[in-house]
Order: sequence, then C-alpha cells, then structure tokens
Amino acid sequence: MTISAISMPKWGMEMSEGLVSDWHFAIGDTIQAGDDVVDVETSKIVNTVTATGSGVLRAITAQSGETLAVGAILGVLADADTSDEEIAAFIRSKSASGTSEVAAEPVAPTQPAPQSPAPPAVAAAVVELPARAIASVTPLPAAVQLGALAAGEDDSQVAASPVARRLAAQYGVNLNNISASGRHGRVSKSDLEAAVSAAGGKLISPAPATTHSRPAVDDSLIKATPVARRLAQELGISLADCRCSGDRGRVSKADVEAAAALQRKLEIFPDLPADEPEPYLTNTMSGMRKTIAARLQQSKQTAPHFRVQVDVEIDNLLAVRQQINASSSQARVSVNDFIIKACASALMQVPGVNVQLEGDTIRQFRHADISVAVAIDEGLITPIVRQADTKGLIAISQETRDLATRAKINRLQADEFQGGSFCISNLGMYGVKQFDAIINPPQAAILAVGSGEQRPVVKNGSLQVATVMTLTLSSDHRIIDGALAAQFMASLKGFLEQPATMLG
Amino acid sequence: MNDFDLIVVGGGPGGYVAAIRAAQLGFSTVLVEKEKLGGVCLNWGCIPTKALLRGAEVAHTLAEAGRFGFEFGPVNFDLAKLVGHSRSVANRLSQGIDYLMKKNNITVFSGQAQLVDNGLLEVTAAGATQRLKAPHIILATGARARALPGVEVDGDYIWGVREAMTPDALPQRLLIIGAGAIGVEFASLYNDLGSQVTLVEAVDRIVPAEDAEISKLLQDQFGKRKIQVLTNTLVGSLNIREGVVTATMRSNGQESQGEFDRVIVAVGITGNIENLGLEALGVTTDRGFIKTDAFKRTNVVGLYAIGDVAGPPWLAHKASHEGVLCVEKIAGIAAKPLDPDRIPGCTYCRPQIASVGLSEQQARQRGIDYSVGRFNLSANGKALAIGDSEGLVKTLFDKHTGELLGAHMIGPEVTEQIQGFGIAQQLEATAHELTHTVFAHPSLSEAMHESVLSSLGIALHQ
Repeated sequence: MTISAISMPKWGMEMSEGLVSDWHFAIGDTIQAGDDVVDVETSKIVNTVTATGSGVLRAITAQSGETLAVGAILGVLADADTSDEEIAAFIRSKSASGTSEVAAEPVAPTQPAPQSPAPPAVAAAVVELPARAIASVTPLPAAVQLGALAAGEDDSQVAASPVARRLAAQYGVNLNNISASGRHGRVSKSDLEAAVSAAGGKLISPAPATTHSRPAVDDSLIKATPVARRLAQELGISLADCRCSGDRGRVSKADVEAAAALQRKLEIFPDLPADEPEPYLTNTMSGMRKTIAARLQQSKQTAPHFRVQVDVEIDNLLAVRQQINASSSQARVSVNDFIIKACASALMQVPGVNVQLEGDTIRQFRHADISVAVAIDEGLITPIVRQADTKGLIAISQETRDLATRAKINRLQADEFQGGSFCISNLGMYGVKQFDAIINPPQAAILAVGSGEQRPVVKNGSLQVATVMTLTLSSDHRIIDGALAAQFMASLKGFLEQPATMLG
Repeated sequence: MNDFDLIVVGGGPGGYVAAIRAAQLGFSTVLVEKEKLGGVCLNWGCIPTKALLRGAEVAHTLAEAGRFGFEFGPVNFDLAKLVGHSRSVANRLSQGIDYLMKKNNITVFSGQAQLVDNGLLEVTAAGATQRLKAPHIILATGARARALPGVEVDGDYIWGVREAMTPDALPQRLLIIGAGAIGVEFASLYNDLGSQVTLVEAVDRIVPAEDAEISKLLQDQFGKRKIQVLTNTLVGSLNIREGVVTATMRSNGQESQGEFDRVIVAVGITGNIENLGLEALGVTTDRGFIKTDAFKRTNVVGLYAIGDVAGPPWLAHKASHEGVLCVEKIAGIAAKPLDPDRIPGCTYCRPQIASVGLSEQQARQRGIDYSVGRFNLSANGKALAIGDSEGLVKTLFDKHTGELLGAHMIGPEVTEQIQGFGIAQQLEATAHELTHTVFAHPSLSEAMHESVLSSLGIALHQ
C-alpha cells in the first residue's frame, strides 16, 4: 500500500505559489505515471502537473481557483484498497506541516462531494471544500440585493480586507452591517460570506480560471500605442478584440478599456483573488529549505552511501591553468572548472557512475550533465553545466560563472538547475581539507572537493613537496559498487594530474 | 582576501548607480573610491558649477531689475559666499551618496584600486593594501581635463576647472581656452559676475557639438554681452610676467597677443585609464578611453567599463544609464544597449542650450530626407512676460516616417524642457502625435509645440 501526494510544484526559483486551474481527473479515476493531472497557473506560466506514480485519485484537496503555496498538497493518489481513514490521516499529516490552506481552515461540508466513492464519514475528512466552492453553480448576477444588509450609511471608513470590500460591492452589502472577526478587527471575507448566507443569499462562485489566461491569439503584429499594449497584457485582452481608433489606425488605451468593459459584462462571474495569506505561513521553511531538507533526508534514508577518497597532485594542473589564462583575455579558468571538465571526461570513461536511479530504472546518461553546488543566501542550488564532456575549459568556465552569478540573485530558470547526472560540491575555498557530501537524488554520486594545499609527499623514497587536493566520492551502493567508484576516482585522478590527457 | 559578487571602481554617477542597481538585484557589492563619493560630477563638475551659475543668474536679474520697476543703490557682492554655497551643496550631496551606500548595504573601500589579475583587485590606502576578489569588476574611473600642449596649469594664473570653481577674487581680464560646454559655462558665469571675458575656440564655431544654428545664436548673445569670441584661433603660448599673462594666439595665419589676469583651460577631457593595471591584463583602449561593446564589456572576461572612461559623450546621465544596463546584463536581465541618438545634452550658460538626437549637419551627412521646424521665442507669450525672449526651438523630423530625429533648443529653462522631446523619441512618437499633444498656455514649452507644427508648415503663431 502506498499513498502519495500530488503537490504544488515549483517551476523556477521565483515561484512561491500557484493557482489551481483545471483538474483532468475526478476522484475515483485511475491515473498512470506521466499522466497530466492538474493545470496550475503562476504569474508567469500555465503548466500541467504530471503524475510521478500510478494509483487511484482518492482525494482532491485543492479546488479550481484556489491559490496554494509551493509544496502544498493538491490531491492524494493511492491504491484502490487503501482505507479512507488512511487517506484522511495522510492528508492530516501533510497538512500539519502548515502548507495547506484547506487544513488550516477546515470548513464542514454541507454535502458530500457527489463523485466521491468514499462513504460520507470519510468524505467529511477528505473532501474539505472551502465555503465558496460549496456555493451554487448557477450563474448569478454580480450584485445580489440582500435587502436589510444593503441599507446603511457610507461604509468607506469601515475596516475591511480588500477582498471583503470588493465582495461587498458585488453583493450590494453595506459593510456597516457585518460583524468583524478578521485580523485587527477587520471585516474578513468569511465574515461577509457568513452574513450573506445567514440572510438567505447565495454565495458567488469563484471565477473560472480561464479569465486569467492570456490572449490566445498572437497580437504582436497589431498596431497599438505602448500604453495600450501594456494595458491589454495586464487585463488579458487581445489587441485583436479591440477597436483601433488611435492615430494611424493604432489601438489606443481607450480601445482596450472599452474591450475590457465589454468582456466584464459578458462574464457573469466576478474575478475573485485568493484569500489573504495566514500569518503563520511566514514561519514555515522556505521552499528551497524544504526541498533541501526533504531530498537530503530521503537520500540519507534510502541511498546506502559509501565513500572513496583519493589525494590528487595538482601542480601540473596549476601550470596548465596559468598557460590557458595567459593565452586569452576571455579565459579565466579556475581549478573548479578543471574539476568539472575532468569529471566529465572520467564519466565518459566510466559511464557506470553517470547514472540516475528512478524506481527500478537506472538511467545511464549519454553526456555528462554536471551539477555544481553554489551556496546562496537561502541555502544552496546546483546549476548544471550540460554536456560538459563536449565543451572546452574556457566555455565551461564562462558558463559556470554566468550560472553562479545568476544563482546568487535567484535568476536561474528551472531547467538550468533541475536534472544533472553527477554533482560536484567544492568547499576548498573555505580551507576545508576534505569532507563527505550527501548524494542529491535521483543522482547516484557526488564529489566533495577539498582545498589544494602544499603537503609533503614521498616519491621514490624521498620526501618532496607537492600541491595536493583531497577528493571524496559519495556513491549510492544500490547501483554503484566499490570497484566502480574506485575506477572512476582513478580515472579522475589521472585526468587531473595529467590535464593534457583530457584532450584525448 | 575578501570575496564579493561585484566590484565597482569609482564612485561617480556611473559607479555609485551601478553599485546600487547591483545591490538591489542581490549582488554582494563593493564600491572603491579614492576621493569623495559622487565623483567629478557632484564634487567638481555639474553640481557645483550649477550653484555658481545660479549666482550669475541672480547678478543678471539684479542688473535687469530696473525693467520691472526696482531701483536700488550699489549692490555688494561677496564672491567667497557664492563659492561657499557651491562647496556646501557639493559636500551635502556627497554625504547623500554615503547614505545611499549604507542603505543599500554596499561596502565602500577608500583607496586607489589596481587590477592585479583577472577578477582580483588591490586597494591601497595610506600604505595599507588589501585584496578584493569578484567575478565581475566594473571600471567607472571617469575622466579629467585634457592638457593643452605647451600650457601648464599652475593653479595661480592658469586655472583648471577646480581653480575656476573656487576663485579667491574675480579676475578682471579672463581668457578661456576652449568653447565646449565647460568653456561657455565659465564664460557666461564670469561675464555675469563682472569679468571681461575672451573665449577662444580652435574650430570655426563655439559649442561645436551642437547644431550650427545654435552655435551662431549663442555667439550672437555672447557678443551682445561683450564676451569676446575668437573662433578658428589657437593659443600658442602663455607667458607670465609680473602677474600678467600674455597669450600668443594664431588665427588664419596671423599672430596676435593679448594680456590677461587669469586663464582657464577647458580643451576637452581624457579618460582615467592609468595605474589601473589595464596593460598587464591586456585591456584594449582607444585614444585614452577603454573600449567596450554595447553592454559595456571590455575584451577581458569579467571586466566592464562605464561612463566617461568608456568614451564619449561625457555626461553623468549617460554614465548612470550605462551602469544600470551593464549590471542588468550581468544579472541576465534583458538589457537594452544605449542609443547614442537619444542621450540629451544640456549646457547651462545664459541662454541655456539643450539638445537631443541628430543635428541638422548630422542628418545631412547620413543622407536622411528631413524636414525642419523652427520657432522663435520672440513670439512666445511666457518668454516675453519674463523678459527673456531670445531663443529658438529647432526640430528635425524624418520626412518619410515622421520620426523625431533631433531637437535643439536655446533660451530660458530649455534644460528643463528637453526631456519632452526625449520621451517622444523613446516612444517613437512622430510629428503627428506631438501635434496632437496639448501644451499648456502660457508656457515656454509651447514653443516646442509650435516648432513641431512649423516642421509641418502649420505653425500658428509665426
């Protein structure tokens, strides 16, 4: 029996929350790994969450139109024979971490979800719907006159949340008639909705997510003033739907506003923003911290780590580095760039280390996509030098510098740090002599790099001084055996001690 | 050794702005400055000269007061107080930059910076040296006055701009060599304060970077103010004897001599590229300035140059703009290169000059089919009301696209109006949009509107 959560994904570093747009499945449907499950919209993109495992969709905890933080649970996948109590307990355990709005503010449903195959008692725990989602689905005029609630003096000075004030205008309710229970004594959205319900009014359904979508038609060729183009984008209006009354047939600001007003009239449903964030969310770990915590804990618990260590003399490497850097003003190659290149070369020679483990599948990569750990304020991130085996040192160096620069200011694209077939963590610049790193799953190995320092070495019976660096490889013994790891380290040592051999 | 994400060398309007933008984006940022924050602009250029020129304007207003019915006896003028005002403004602004650096968490190092390796900077102050490391280093070291061969600035009789900004006494006879923006501002300043000014220019007109029509109008105005303007004239030598400077000048093959009490040398500027360690790194320079691409990258990876040290135009706002775009490019933000035809230039002599885009001469050289609009301030109500109606607004439009190619203004407060044309250019507005824009009445800027109408042959008030 396995229960897994479908969670709000993180697409790119700037994504902190997403809007659930459309579910492709209903409760009770069977889902295969790789199926498109639910559409999620961010400020930047609309994308689809795909299932990472298979099972029956047992619960949907986030309805269309809800905005949830990254990592929050959206639904539950499990075997058909998993009991409803277990599903409910699973949701509670996931929600306890404080990421789900649903669990934070449970609302007793007035009716069980019709599609749910579960008995009512369990559905009460599982299918927790926020108040507004229980409302009638019949279209209503935007302003519902509620008699007594509408009367009263000017309510512009009443403390109310922006959402509540907007809703009040739509229901035609005077805020003076609502008792406030929100933060700082403000009228909250739920105060307003409770009053409307109590007065016999029906709640307005949330806006269909499609109203957020951008214009479907490419309107970049339509002539418009700069202001009109921006406004159209802002309002989600296609310039193709606007009149063009501006100078020389351009769409003007007024044209876009007119098109927007028309569209508003056509849309019976008002556009509701998500609830204001609850204060306790501010105390949770950052998305990045959570990811680091979860992944590395999982790694330590599931991947049997073992380590092999070698000392590498880098005097030759340092000499070559000087030659390369003196050869071109575009070259600023670091020791770490050499290590990236040498790892790529060694991975080509010992491809058994260039692997990822996913379930029962071992993926052996054709190229060396090397993740490089970069420390940033919130934690660390591992941007990837793709196909490092095909690139020269100067190209690797420039790419690494650009990735590290943008990593520090949170400006990496998702595909620049997701994936990778091997990882390098270098603490040499902090004077660390040697350390062990934790494998970053689904990768199977990580190299920990210490600082290069002058050490005594014995050669042919005599004591000499050499610049020596200690490298430690952590490998996942499930798919990399000791001899293989040793072979890789021997290959790597060879490339680093005789850098010219990387040309071969 | 200290590790940072980004280091800026030079705390002028290019450097300190680049540092703020970098800090905003989240870079751990260092600014290195050997003197005072704010650079030449703030300490010895734009700002202190504007403070002095305000004094000149007051002198002019007092001289004109009779027209408005004010009569008063002899007026006392304390030059030291005016210079004091100028210095205190500069100091106050420099402290403002100190505050901005603190607010943005920018580490400021005082000292002379030198690149010792790619990405490695040595900062020396009071004999102590420390090394700073960063993958990105931006040079914003600015520029200084160019020397005139055979003429030595001694600070007593022969002045550079610093001495010209801090005079102990008003020179009776003043020679100014060079009639670019700096030369004409000093000519206007000292003339208004009471000096007898001779302005010498090597080429055939003053303010040679401006449209020729503007040059002529300024020269006419200077002539009316009894400023002696000598164009096509070179200063051969300066001899100082018994407190008098004798200048030997050559014009059209004829030599002449003149006697002066002080001389100001303002013959252009040259980049501060020395002692930075550029040679060892193989940084490409060109005639005293660092060569860069459109995103201000030098030929050396990780090294950038912005502002005056990266070449003309030598303007503070150009430096600031380059600082921002250079940093944004490093951060992976889609930055746009600076369009040299959209950088406004302002000169604060009396009357003021402001321009943006192509001059008529440049438009002709580029073979553009253009139309010209002109409007004279003598037909502008507001200009007549304030008693300052000498001036012109000249506009150039592409005949085929209607694009605003250039705008050239001379007259009162034109430096505050030129941005109207700058915005129009940036939004790619045509003569048509400008025609349909409502300009407030009465205002000096109505002349801008009329000039545009004139380019279409439909000016209403002339």
